[in-house]
Amino acid sequence: MPETIIELRGVHKAFAEHVVYRDMNLQVYTGETLTVIGGSGQGKSVCLKLMTGLLRAEQGEVLFDGEDVGEMGQRQLVALRRRMSMVFQGGALFDSMNVLENVGYALKEHTKMSDAEILARALECLELVGLGSDPNLIYRMPASLSGGMRKRVAIARSIAIKPEVILYDEPTTGLDPMNCNVIAHMILKLQRELGVTSIVVTHEMPLAFEVSDRIAMLHDKHFPFQGTPDELHRMSEPAVKDFIEGRVEEGDEGHGA
Amino acid sequence: MGESIREAIEWTGGLVRLLLIALGQGVRRPYGIYDIFYQIVAQGVRSLPLTFVMSLFIGMVLTYQFGEALMWFGAKNAVGSAASLALVREIVPVILALTVGAKIATGMTAELGSMKVSEQIDAIASLGADPVKKLVWPRIVAATVALPFLSVLGNIIAMASGGVIADMVFDVPFAYFYETYVTQLTPFDYISGLLKSLVFGVLVGLIGCYQGFETKFGTEAVGISTTKTVVAISIVILFTDFVMTMMFLPV
Repeated sequence: MPETIIELRGVHKAFAEHVVYRDMNLQVYTGETLTVIGGSGQGKSVCLKLMTGLLRAEQGEVLFDGEDVGEMGQRQLVALRRRMSMVFQGGALFDSMNVLENVGYALKEHTKMSDAEILARALECLELVGLGSDPNLIYRMPASLSGGMRKRVAIARSIAIKPEVILYDEPTTGLDPMNCNVIAHMILKLQRELGVTSIVVTHEMPLAFEVSDRIAMLHDKHFPFQGTPDELHRMSEPAVKDFIEGRVEEGDEGHGA
Repeated sequence: MGESIREAIEWTGGLVRLLLIALGQGVRRPYGIYDIFYQIVAQGVRSLPLTFVMSLFIGMVLTYQFGEALMWFGAKNAVGSAASLALVREIVPVILALTVGAKIATGMTAELGSMKVSEQIDAIASLGADPVKKLVWPRIVAATVALPFLSVLGNIIAMASGGVIADMVFDVPFAYFYETYVTQLTPFDYISGLLKSLVFGVLVGLIGCYQGFETKFGTEAVGISTTKTVVAISIVILFTDFVMTMMFLPV
């Protein structure tokens, strides 16, 4: 039995009237890549934000390494985020800072590294995400980067602090197929080379099947279907089959709000 | 009706909560001196042209109106005394808060709102920094410092432009206008005007940031928040001005 690093137990989360999770349970094992799939607007990203403490659950526990994230104060959250970083949908790079300042941001906040050390670490991270060839890149502003580059810089920013867990929120949304492949390879590569635990939220099945050790499918406000990619392929539940094969489920279209 | 009252109370509560958090975070090291100076330049220095133009015309218009009214009583020589009290205690701080202050606040809302919808504020938190400390604290401090300074400048310009009108239109010599203007004022008049600017500065920074943080999803939401900021600034500034005037001028 592998070690559990993150565990969500009986989580209930709602925004006003809109219930996102009801009695939801999910486990993440150390070192694995878990992909969370499900339709748009069902609250897959909420799951990541619960894990990193950006949102709090109304009921239930969100445990990281045995400690309840929901109970953490500011200082403990900072310590948590030293170990777990998040790659946001669209990158969420800071518009007012250049690439170097973006990638070095967490190092400036968390460590006492000198500017030279931060520069060296930033270049190392950009190299890891395949952006090491252009020496002037670090002085460019996010607005001047392409979508694929922005995502990669965002990944570089998240790994700069050497986290144990990386949360990817829709890492390939809005990218062309080639860039999607690049990102998928990068997720695999980072997991291999850094040994991190990765949690990927996506609705793109090729990505999910390519990078995952396990897949959890969000359905009816919890994760009833969990398993390896092969197991998911073999499942006979119509909901799973429909989703994987991209068929529209009757009456399920309205959930996209 | 009940709904909007409840919303107003919730809004005020959110504002107070943000102010308390910002103060609690801000007084701890590091104070973010660089960010504060950057914001003072970004908000204060870039508001100098608008401050100049607003004060210029306020001084002229108000002196013109008072001069006209006082002529009826054959008391146009008192125009300096009348204009000084209204300008220093009331008009300059309030008009500057409503124009320059609204400009500063909407700028903050648009900037922070865009950061909110593109998840940059969440990103700051997830990279181990505190968004209130990083974004709200320097902006509130900067606005609180900038607005009184702009108000002092505005007072000088309004007095000068008023003097020109008194001299040219009403034949009250500039020197005499200045003399009556200054002798009419007590130190407390200056202080009360500055205190108003100070409080308006806090409110401008606070409302600008709060509306930015409260922005919901999508680019449309940024526009909605920004519009709300203008409305909120107008109402809150005038309400606060009324309360402070009653406090400063007990009958």
